[in-house]
Amino acid sequence: MTGSIRKISACLIIIVLYVFCAFHMQKARDQFSRSSFVNYALPSKLIGPMSLEFKGMASDFLLLKLMTFIGGELRELRGSSEDHYKYIKGALHTITDLDPYFWDAYIFAETILAWDARDFAGANDLLLKARKHLPNDYRPPYYIGFNHFYFLKDNKAGAEFFMEASMLPGRPSFLPSLATRLSVRDSDYQAGILFLKQMLKNTQNRVLIKRYTKRIQALESHQMLEMMVFHYVKKYGSKPPSLEALVKSGMISQIPEDPYGGEFVLKEDGRVYTTSNMRERK
Amino acid sequence: MLNRIWQLAVLTFKEGVRDRALYGVMIIALMMLVAGMGIVSLFGQELGKVAIDLTLSTVVFAGLILTFFANINLLRKDIDKRTIYSVLSKPISRKEYILGKYVGLFSLVAVSTSLLALIGAALCALLKASYPVIYFADFSWNSYFQAFYYELAMFFVLNAVIVFFSTITTSSFLTFLYSVSVYVAGQTIEDVVRFIKSGNVGDFEISALHRGLLEVVQYLFPNFSAFDIKVMASHGMSMPPVHTILLLGYSLIYTTILLFFAVLIFERSELQ
Repeated sequence: MTGSIRKISACLIIIVLYVFCAFHMQKARDQFSRSSFVNYALPSKLIGPMSLEFKGMASDFLLLKLMTFIGGELRELRGSSEDHYKYIKGALHTITDLDPYFWDAYIFAETILAWDARDFAGANDLLLKARKHLPNDYRPPYYIGFNHFYFLKDNKAGAEFFMEASMLPGRPSFLPSLATRLSVRDSDYQAGILFLKQMLKNTQNRVLIKRYTKRIQALESHQMLEMMVFHYVKKYGSKPPSLEALVKSGMISQIPEDPYGGEFVLKEDGRVYTTSNMRERK
Repeated sequence: MLNRIWQLAVLTFKEGVRDRALYGVMIIALMMLVAGMGIVSLFGQELGKVAIDLTLSTVVFAGLILTFFANINLLRKDIDKRTIYSVLSKPISRKEYILGKYVGLFSLVAVSTSLLALIGAALCALLKASYPVIYFADFSWNSYFQAFYYELAMFFVLNAVIVFFSTITTSSFLTFLYSVSVYVAGQTIEDVVRFIKSGNVGDFEISALHRGLLEVVQYLFPNFSAFDIKVMASHGMSMPPVHTILLLGYSLIYTTILLFFAVLIFERSELQ
């Protein structure tokens, strides 16, 4: 009897000690992994032969790792965002070398590199790789065209890529009209909203859904405010001195909140901008 | 002769089925298949691609473990436990013994991996039915099974490799070491040759002798990477019939050569 009580007590003590150790070790590991972020991705020349005949699976796991990294919010990690974006770009190149047909990786290039890092050349570089390997897919030229139009303000190059995308199967029905509209105006928030809604429709990844929704919300606020400025000019014959004038005139009840934490301001040219520049704040 | 080879193959197969290691590998593989289906849902768009990648990789991984551990063990068991004397004392030649063993070992891997591939296919079908069709736009059963048949052709050669090395070495560890080396070399040699031929090697100069040597070595080792079409299959792409016929021919000829030498060596070796 005494023997079994002793055994049970010893067992309980060991379990308590284990839980204590495991809990504190995990806390220490979390701190360590945050402070020891490795800002490089192994090149495909090394990972390719190393993964033997499991290249497809290796590309899946590398992308999963990248998604976990992005999902863990870039701002929580130490080091400059530029280091993180450099790592993301390197990782995406490795992933698409292992599996050059992997569209999920190219989507990340567009979402993170073009929209967040503003590295349009980097995003287009990866999308051109997609275009080479997926010649019958409308998405690569469509995304490259969008980047040219929306970000790089190169309407001529954008139109060429949109034209190419328009001739491929599965293209969205709004594509031809979008091309026409974008060629008239340099920066059209409606185009961005349409583009993001199309991306939102095709994904079920929570990290991406969260990012797209936030961006759509910000663009819709931009669009609404610009429209109100337009109506103000029509009504009063002059440009409002600031966005507050729209509230005072009763055209809007309040200035919407920027989901990125910035403030909306009216520029001299009548366009609405946000101080956050639609980028995650550190 | 064929009858005796068949009988020995059946005996080897039955012996393999009795091995608990086989069940261990199968259970792990099944757990990996189920876990893989959970991982698939974390991806954004190409769920079908990830599902096929993970399923086929698990099937191949299980096949490799069976070949390198269970089959090498089965091959050496007769010699280590001295039961080979009682087998060879019966009216069965050494040639028949080697061929019978080979057929039995390959059948064991083929049946096990086929079972896993079918279970994997059922899980993929279940996943496919539970998600909207856009996430499985490139999914193709034809590509899935073609990639699996290609892997079977790879195991056809790989099992001949272990039979060959078991005739020239005296321990199962050495058979394992040499076979794994050949497998790794066979998987990477094509990449290495392509890399060197591309001339994109920086400041390094590769002598004509090395180039010539590489040229010879690439035909000496079996080109296992040619059997790997999993990435293409995951995107619904298939290989043309001509390529398939050529690959099957390659697999058959390479295996015949290996078994020919294995028989030649085994007939002349002193059993210890």
